[in-house]
Amino acid sequence: MKLLRSWLQDWIDLTDIDDTDLSTALESLGFEIEDYKLINPDYKNIIVGKVLEIYPHPNADKVRVTKVDVGNKIYEIVCGAWNFEEGAIVPVALPNSYIKDSFKIDKRDIRGVESNGMICSASELNLWDEHDGILILDESFKIGSDLSKTYNSTDSYWEVGVTPNRGDCMSYLGIARELSTYFNKKLKKIEKPLNPKLKPVLKVNSGKSKLCSSYQSIEIENISIKDSSFLIKYRLSNIGVRIINNVVDYTNYVLHDIGQPLHAFDRDKLYGTISVRKAKEGEKLKTLDEQIRTLDNDDLIITDNNEPIALAGVMGGFDTEVTNETQNLLIESAYFDKVSIMKTSRKLNLISDASVRFERGIDRNIQAYGLKRFTNLYELDENIQYSEISDSSKQTESENFITFDTSLIESILGQLIDNKFIASTLKSLSIENEIKKDTIKFKQPSWRYDLERPIDLIEEIAKHYGFNNFKSTLPIGNNLNQVGNYWNVRKYFIDKLSLEKFNETQSLSFTQKEYNEFFDPDKEGVKVLNPIDQTQEYLRTNLYYSLIKIYKFNYDQNNFSGKYFEINNIYNNSTNKNYKKIPKQDYTLGFLVPDNNSDINPMQYIASLLRKILPGVSFEQLSKPGFHQNNSYLIMADNKLVGHTGQLSYLLKEELDVSENLFMTQIYLEELNFVGLNITNYKPLSHYPFIKFDLSFKVNRDLNANDLIQEVENLLKNNENSIKIFDDYAFEKTRNLGIRIITRSYEKTYNEKENTEILNMIVEKLTSKFNITLNEKGE
Amino acid sequence: MPELNLDKILASLDLRISEVTLPDEYDQISKDYLGKDSLLAEERKKLPTLSNEDKKTYGKKLTELSKKIESKIASSKKQFILDTFQKKEKDEFTDITIDWNRNEGSYKHILSSVMDEVVNIFSSIGYEVAYGPEAETSWHNFDALNTPDWHPARYESDTIYLNSDLETLLRTQTSTVQIRHMEQNDPPVYIVAPGRVFRSDQLDATHSPVFHQLEGLAIDKNLSFTDLKGTLEYFTKEFFGENIETKFIPHFFPFTEPSAEVLVKWNDGSWLEILGCGMVDPNVLENVGYSKEYKGFAWGVGIERLAMLRYKIDHIKNFYENDIRFLEQF
Repeated sequence: MKLLRSWLQDWIDLTDIDDTDLSTALESLGFEIEDYKLINPDYKNIIVGKVLEIYPHPNADKVRVTKVDVGNKIYEIVCGAWNFEEGAIVPVALPNSYIKDSFKIDKRDIRGVESNGMICSASELNLWDEHDGILILDESFKIGSDLSKTYNSTDSYWEVGVTPNRGDCMSYLGIARELSTYFNKKLKKIEKPLNPKLKPVLKVNSGKSKLCSSYQSIEIENISIKDSSFLIKYRLSNIGVRIINNVVDYTNYVLHDIGQPLHAFDRDKLYGTISVRKAKEGEKLKTLDEQIRTLDNDDLIITDNNEPIALAGVMGGFDTEVTNETQNLLIESAYFDKVSIMKTSRKLNLISDASVRFERGIDRNIQAYGLKRFTNLYELDENIQYSEISDSSKQTESENFITFDTSLIESILGQLIDNKFIASTLKSLSIENEIKKDTIKFKQPSWRYDLERPIDLIEEIAKHYGFNNFKSTLPIGNNLNQVGNYWNVRKYFIDKLSLEKFNETQSLSFTQKEYNEFFDPDKEGVKVLNPIDQTQEYLRTNLYYSLIKIYKFNYDQNNFSGKYFEINNIYNNSTNKNYKKIPKQDYTLGFLVPDNNSDINPMQYIASLLRKILPGVSFEQLSKPGFHQNNSYLIMADNKLVGHTGQLSYLLKEELDVSENLFMTQIYLEELNFVGLNITNYKPLSHYPFIKFDLSFKVNRDLNANDLIQEVENLLKNNENSIKIFDDYAFEKTRNLGIRIITRSYEKTYNEKENTEILNMIVEKLTSKFNITLNEKGE
Repeated sequence: MPELNLDKILASLDLRISEVTLPDEYDQISKDYLGKDSLLAEERKKLPTLSNEDKKTYGKKLTELSKKIESKIASSKKQFILDTFQKKEKDEFTDITIDWNRNEGSYKHILSSVMDEVVNIFSSIGYEVAYGPEAETSWHNFDALNTPDWHPARYESDTIYLNSDLETLLRTQTSTVQIRHMEQNDPPVYIVAPGRVFRSDQLDATHSPVFHQLEGLAIDKNLSFTDLKGTLEYFTKEFFGENIETKFIPHFFPFTEPSAEVLVKWNDGSWLEILGCGMVDPNVLENVGYSKEYKGFAWGVGIERLAMLRYKIDHIKNFYENDIRFLEQF
């Protein structure tokens, strides 16, 4: 909603309220300020003048020479516009004045005639967009006065947001009503009685449909289509409404002033009874924009002898529109159902100032007032004759009183609010009420659809009390410093992986079918009904492709080969264990390790990392689509399947044009419990010296080194041990494995003899159990 | 009584000391001047031949000389070592202005870090993290949250749907978790729900089809609007600093009443919206079957918005491109 200070002044006296206070008030009432600016005239020294004479230019036929009276003197001015006659009152830029964009006007020779300045158009003065010629002023403008002094040329402008529940504030009247309560000032009444001298020619009927509860009209005769008054044009143009002619401008003006949309028909193009009904399926109507609209049973239409003439509340019909030849008008003022107008306007993509107001709900009792305002404005400018108002409103049930306990207010707001404050607020907002000590009764005004329940009225009271005037109290919840398993598991992995220098990533959840199928050909992906574009038609079934994309992006763009992880949902169309009706979604950790020639084999690195961060982890080799046939493992934790890891298949590596071998892992976080992850088994420290053996064995290619370690651990289970593979070297068919054993007794210092006994015991056990041979020193 | 030229001995010692180039040489000097072949030792051998008085006097003199030599060598050696190390340290200079490592950051995504920070703030006043699905039913996303079926938010131009009867969708707000949590848990409820939400927007500088919100919900017997204010003021102070100014202006959300937007005053004096909130609408509590004695408040805060404000990030696209040059900065 766009607001001019001078227009608001019609409704509420703002003289002692400055712009800052007005801004504070608007915001505090819930009108978010989207824009605020001062309006100043974009011209200087423009004088109101009267054209006394017009005569031809001796050397040019496209311009005329005029004599203009500017009060104290008469000047000769050359003018190129032809839209005025002798006697016209016009804005004059005399020498040493400025028109828009600070353009200076001086004496100028125009083909042999000296022109003392220029006569200005509205657009030259940056008043509004009107290129038809110079601006013609009316008799109320005094000859010789400074134009900027003749109207509110300095003004303030606000654009404020009106929340969807407050259709009543889509007008100056509505905003002023709120402000009058805020500033405790009277809302002015703007109304003049009508003096109808005609009987209406046409009958109107609001029809059987409940979607139109009120249809009223007035007929106006002998009008002429011309420009609106300066004031109307100034106001409408400054709130961004296009200036058209007096009929269109005044309907627009009433809409913004009081919130009642009006529609003007050329009465002489109407013949029978004007009525309202739902359209028939396939019925056609040519609308103002000359398009033929095919209607359906949801659309509400205005009819003349049962033939469609307008789309109710959305757009008028072409055949009955007002043209420059129109002499007599029928102005419609109606109440149409909110949802019906919304459906039609959205369906046809015709969203107008009128449809937006109907959608949000206009005042149910304002239709006649709308017609009065229009006629009052019109008769200011022109001698017209008009009919009485034809009213075809349906009886609607009057609103009931709603009663509630006063104590509810304090219980919800946390603060006692004085009954007097409540009474004066409701009175100022014209909300009918009855306040007793313990109860409040109120009735919904005809413009307030948002006041249906006690809570609605409590909100209203709180808003006018001022949200920032409430105290603040801090309740403490019942889960102090317990974020819960879901968040703990997430944090656990983020901490562990960031320590390992994996970069955490966040990527979009959408992908293409083929990328899902690289890794999950057997899973049915979740298809989006209205995808953003063709590359985002499916939800991802895995995190692998997202990770590859990020790896590749940084490799190609930034020459950076890094490790990445992401924790987010993956989706597929199998049934959801936890929830009905919605697709399966698994909260999943994915990570990627490239083989960028570090010393450690990435597959071994991942396995050892998982052993470190997933207690009780074990691996089970299993080929999977998209992965290397051998380097592909299911991940088990305590014998439960929790994920998968493996190397990207060579075929996909080539297809995706990836330079390095990639190793990727997914872990299903919902399978894990934070308490289980956080187990650390403390091992006491021995105080005795260590003994150390480095042993090298000839072993088979398929031996699992960890089996050797476990065996040694078992042999030395009463000691504090550190047993590690320090060398694994394979050449042709041979493989040498180096194992370093460091062990300490908890009870004593080993002597030379015990040292040798332990060594022999280990070698003997390992060689016999695993069928391996010890390499002699130097071998 | 023999007479030794002490000055001569000390002068020769000074000369020897002045020629030292390695600390080990001091051992040899000690030997030469105090050892068994030294001049001093030669003189000591003469002592038994002297009269008692002379023995005493001369012996004392020799002892003094020996002590003098000893201390001279010791202090000179100490000084020599000190000088040597000081010279070594003076020659060593490091240019600490060079960064050999990449500026690697925390390895955590900035959205994760901000979410975690917000979670911690609320956890410190008793809120647990709740979790709800991202692919949701329209009922949880709209109906249960008091959003009528004609509401514009439901249009396909805004919401991403998953089936043709528009019954399932990608949640447009984390408020769905309010409903999910209340369906499964009895009051009192104090939860926050950080997570992804979805809108039908192409990824560009100011829009993203995916973004993050954190929903908060408190339901208990005696919660009121002043509690809502206190809770969110606590949050803005914890997140933006003790001196941040906060104001509440009325707003409209279908699922809260009264509803407000919270603005904070930025360095340049402008007020910026950072979250939406309100008292939970009685219809919502009725939809999940909570008894009338319970009420409370809810709020939703945009994680990207918090991150963009605090770190002056200008493009929302940055969060989802995962360019290492962006990731490394946090």
